[in-house]
Amino acid sequence: MARLTSLEEFLSFQEQVRNNRERDLPCLVICAGTGGQAAGSNDIIRIVKRHILERGLQEKLKLRITGCQGFCELNPFIIVEPGRNLYPWVKMEDVGRVIDAALQGMVLEDLLFRESEHYPCQHCKDDIQFFKKQKRLILGKNELVDPIRIFDYIQEGGYTALADVLEKNDPEWIIDEIKRSGLRGRGGAGFPTGRKWELARAAGDGTGRKFIICNADEGDPGAYMDRGLLEGNPHAVLEGMMIAGLAIGAAEGIIYVRNEYPLAIKHATIAIRQARDLGILGKNILDTGFDFDLEIVRGAGAFVCGEETALIRSIEGKTGEPKQRPPYPVQKGLWGRPTCINNVETLCNVPLIINEGADVYSRIGLPGNSGTKIFSLVGKVKNTGLVEVPMGTTIKEIVFEIGGGSIGKAAVKAVQTGGPSGGCIPTAMFDLPIDYESLARAGSIMGSGGMIVMDENTCMVDIAKYYMNFLKSESCGKCYTCRKGTQRLYELLDDITAGRGTLQHLDLLKELAEVVADTTMCGLGQTAPNPVLSTLRYFHEEYIEHIVDKKCRAGVCKDLVGAPCQAACPIGTEAWRYVAHIARGEYEEAYKAIREENPFPSVCARVCDHKCEEKCRLGQSGDHPVAIRALKRFVADNVDPSVYQPRRAVEKKSAKVAVIGAGPGGLTAAHYLSLMGYPVTVFEKDSKPGGMLFSCIPEYRLPREILNKEIEALLDENVTLMCGHTFGVDFTINSLFEEGYQAVFIALGAQKGRKLELEGEDAAGAFPAVEFLKAYNQNGEQLARGRVGVIGGGNSAVDAARTALRQRGVGEVTIFYRRTREEMPAFEEEIEAALEEGIRLETLVTPVRINTADGNITGVEFQRNRLGEMDSSGRRRPLPIEGSDFKQSLDTLIIAISEQPDVNSFTQDPADAIEVTQWNTLKVDEHTLACSRPGVFAGGDVVTGPNTVVDAIAAGKKAAVMIDRYVRGEELRQVRQPRLPKVYIEPCATGEEGPTKRVKPPCNVYEKGGDELVEVEQTLSEEDARREALRCLRCDLEFTAPEENGSDSVQTGAAITVEAAR
Amino acid sequence: MKTLDVQNIVKKHAGNAGGLLGILQEIQVRYGYLPQEALRIVSESIGYPLVDVYGVATFYRSFSLEPRGKHLCSVCLGTACHVRGAPKIYREFKNHLGIEAGQTTPDREFTLETVNCLGACALGPVVVVDGRYFPSVNSTQVEEIIEQTRHGFDVELIRGDERVFPVEVSCHRCNHSLMDPGYLLDGYPSIRVTVSFRRKHGWLRLSSLYGSHRVESEYEIPLNEVVSFFCPHCHAELTGPTVCAVCGAAMVQMIVRGGGTVQICSRHGCKGHLLDVA
Repeated sequence: MARLTSLEEFLSFQEQVRNNRERDLPCLVICAGTGGQAAGSNDIIRIVKRHILERGLQEKLKLRITGCQGFCELNPFIIVEPGRNLYPWVKMEDVGRVIDAALQGMVLEDLLFRESEHYPCQHCKDDIQFFKKQKRLILGKNELVDPIRIFDYIQEGGYTALADVLEKNDPEWIIDEIKRSGLRGRGGAGFPTGRKWELARAAGDGTGRKFIICNADEGDPGAYMDRGLLEGNPHAVLEGMMIAGLAIGAAEGIIYVRNEYPLAIKHATIAIRQARDLGILGKNILDTGFDFDLEIVRGAGAFVCGEETALIRSIEGKTGEPKQRPPYPVQKGLWGRPTCINNVETLCNVPLIINEGADVYSRIGLPGNSGTKIFSLVGKVKNTGLVEVPMGTTIKEIVFEIGGGSIGKAAVKAVQTGGPSGGCIPTAMFDLPIDYESLARAGSIMGSGGMIVMDENTCMVDIAKYYMNFLKSESCGKCYTCRKGTQRLYELLDDITAGRGTLQHLDLLKELAEVVADTTMCGLGQTAPNPVLSTLRYFHEEYIEHIVDKKCRAGVCKDLVGAPCQAACPIGTEAWRYVAHIARGEYEEAYKAIREENPFPSVCARVCDHKCEEKCRLGQSGDHPVAIRALKRFVADNVDPSVYQPRRAVEKKSAKVAVIGAGPGGLTAAHYLSLMGYPVTVFEKDSKPGGMLFSCIPEYRLPREILNKEIEALLDENVTLMCGHTFGVDFTINSLFEEGYQAVFIALGAQKGRKLELEGEDAAGAFPAVEFLKAYNQNGEQLARGRVGVIGGGNSAVDAARTALRQRGVGEVTIFYRRTREEMPAFEEEIEAALEEGIRLETLVTPVRINTADGNITGVEFQRNRLGEMDSSGRRRPLPIEGSDFKQSLDTLIIAISEQPDVNSFTQDPADAIEVTQWNTLKVDEHTLACSRPGVFAGGDVVTGPNTVVDAIAAGKKAAVMIDRYVRGEELRQVRQPRLPKVYIEPCATGEEGPTKRVKPPCNVYEKGGDELVEVEQTLSEEDARREALRCLRCDLEFTAPEENGSDSVQTGAAITVEAAR
Repeated sequence: MKTLDVQNIVKKHAGNAGGLLGILQEIQVRYGYLPQEALRIVSESIGYPLVDVYGVATFYRSFSLEPRGKHLCSVCLGTACHVRGAPKIYREFKNHLGIEAGQTTPDREFTLETVNCLGACALGPVVVVDGRYFPSVNSTQVEEIIEQTRHGFDVELIRGDERVFPVEVSCHRCNHSLMDPGYLLDGYPSIRVTVSFRRKHGWLRLSSLYGSHRVESEYEIPLNEVVSFFCPHCHAELTGPTVCAVCGAAMVQMIVRGGGTVQICSRHGCKGHLLDVA
């Protein structure tokens, strides 16, 4: 390539390059940045080249290989121009089809990008939610250029700004333009760039050397926009540096880049060489008398070198310790000469400002915070990638609209901005507009623009510890308080996460954090406490939980959690233990492990919401969780319950205890109190025990024979069951105490259906779901007929719909839900089964009117919804669409929008009152379940509102422990110790077949007119069960694997443990 | 370790007083670590006190004073990877290799290290083994990655792999075909050129399979030797306009039949290449 020797030559060359563009040919654009190559884009590129060569497509199809385009998780992807059709996750065998479609100007709908499985495909890349809301002034170029081809850059208008300023040859004008643009340093501190240049220009004696340094030592973990820019469009960085050089009078530039970015180093090296060859870099550039040359210095893995004085020392070949400022580098920097240090992104903004003009640029974003900012949106977010938005965009827009919210089921909890120097911002503050000052006020910083999304499975104490661990090893050690302070902060946090924390730790943390911030010299130390202070400020309760309750709600802190499945279970079932026994074929041992913590194994094996599976590490690391519930079912169905004999207290106790309500919670409490030797009376208003298990859960999910057997086994000689006794009618709390009961446990449940608050919902043919289910389950009454509509999206809605379908005289059954299927709270497998049975699902509809005639339901008018903005739970809010109303004729309407406890009886008589909350639930101390009245305890749905079976069982277990303590006059609340796996179970070899997929239990699909009582889900075969059990990662072994000198297997064995009492 | 090598590296960075970092980086690449002797030579050659050279060598994370293993496993512990479960991945590596970060297995096969962020956050948790990225790693894959590394990734690409295909080339000056149907390499006609190095002059045949690096030559070419390539027909030098992005040596350019160019690095043993199809 011939060297260009004048401005005119450059301009005519540029004209020539731009005219050569073959815009009308279809072009495949493939990312081969770090992310692309990691995901295999090089293979795709080879196949494309092979097709072009073998089919002779050189004149028909173009191929452009680009650097990082920012939406890395779609890699390897192909964008087809001119339609800009985006094909994500392209496989080698799809390449041929993509090429054929491109040549014919067609699209392949099956391969095109979709926001989600149930969504239509997007034809054009720009319509994708991730891109639509962005303003990609800088990043957008990456898609247009091949970073190793300078012609591409020139073709897209590159070096025009340089030519412009060379022609003007007026450094003051450049500085003025940058000042007027309002550009501030994108490295994080936000110092006005124009002002820095002005200082650098004025510095020195006007004769000696000056330097411009590009800081590409992007050390913040989780931030990679500088890599993206240097790798994807290196010439833009070069052009920015040259303009800066001209402005401040520097002839030498240095790009200081992290060693961890090999591709960025490679592309920048090629770019410099090409620019030199073309005469854009070097001596007397384009015959304008401007000399400027560049070199690359690679960092060697020290975070502190992102600090400007440390960076300079590193370039000088010394250890990267910061120096006291002033003098600032603009006065005395590299080799003691004036040095201007700008961040990669800042420099990329420079050509843009010169080309567009400061006026246009300054109107983007907010006054004082002009332009765009690139964020790297990573962590637990659906759309991970580089996001460029105008300053002032809110966190909510970035995380929920561009990022698409949480990656999994767990809700978003916070974002961390600014890397190790930044802080965590909770979802409640997501309306915060992002600019330098707002973030600082919220206790974080802009930093280089890392934005790490955290969800309910992220522990905030662990995050603070993570950053402190990072900072203590990255502290250069010059300042004592940074070197030792970060170390001590880390140790305090480590104590807390390991269960050794006390409340004094929190005071110490805060005090020490402030000392470190106040007494250190450079930015690293001054901002080091931010992760601690911001999490203490916004997530104080998580610290308290770690310290007081010895609990990590996210399931992260190993020493508090033990095995995640066990920690997630409200009753502390050692799921890992019975799964391990199943793998070994020891089914009786497995049954014992289940029954030890759970008096309702067969019930939970069928209807539990399996929180254990949500937290299963296999599930959290990309695979599907172990099918723990199905394994429990296998054991419960195959082992005789008599293998387990609970341990009973030898002596009988004299204190009588009353339990109100014979649901799972009440029966559990009665059982454990009985084991402790207490005589217990259970009062039940219905004719049979079981509560919701019996009256609401349909028989096809829970056969009554199994339920009755399990209940009967709990009713021993210490337990007296009094059915047909209604609280508030037949007896009161006062009357129980008068009869000599020493403690009362209220477990009444929540059985009152919530109303739609529409006129006509009391008409004949309309039923609350609970009433409808009870009528059928208790008395065999079939209330549904004709066309049935169920309003709601939870399990009771699905239960009601499936029960209705099984009734005589019922035609079509439809579930109406106001959000989308993905947001339905019902179990996914239940929804699937309902659809399979022929139940219709109508989503995004809200009832607005109930039509009646002669006191009978005739139909419901619905309004359609669209999904609006995400609310703070990360779910998109349903918004009504005006004029979308439609009528649905119905003969039966079942309202299943929620239930609440009936607490009237507790408030009527002041002499007998129990305190009630504003949500019409009983008020209890969450740690002890104690009500406002001494001796009275409450748990289950009457306290929490409608909740799961296992949570009710957990409340029953806890109540038993608390009542025992109460009767014996002990302190109710006692220090909880985390329960870690203790029993060593030797793992068995995994066999030859390698990893297997999650097992799906066999099912009997109900067909209209068939036996409505037949249980749908069936038991796993022994072979399937053992294979499934082998999938378990055995998190327990980390705690139980024997040391060389013998095993440490201690059985806990206690029938009821302190664990139940959390 | 050869004293001369180290001195040559120092010489390359002469005149740049701040080149210590660059010198040490190059020594580290050459030997996989910074041998004590090398640090002494550097200190003497650039007139820097040994204590300062040692200070720099120990301050930066990417330098190692201990010999490294044959394979380097870097587990990213950046924040994005951390929240996606990187600590578990790291624990798996520790368990399987039986070493901590910064250590090397006794058989000198593996060195384990953690890095703060590789900038591949969308693919977290990320592990890099010998420069090869493994995206979205889960703990069950760790053993497989280690085993795969032990057996080697660069197992000879074979026919049947659709990423490997033959390319026909000609001289960019006389446009005469360079293909030699009478001499097969990898089962396809080879590319025949003339080369010269160290006063030797003879033929060289390259595999025409894109993706194969097989070469045969009349004289044995020393590793890392930069060789001049000539057209056997018009005798023009085949050197192209660009230099290798990997090593900086001149690239050799040939025309691809049907349109496009292919460039290969002129340094023996360097795999730098570039195929342009339009």
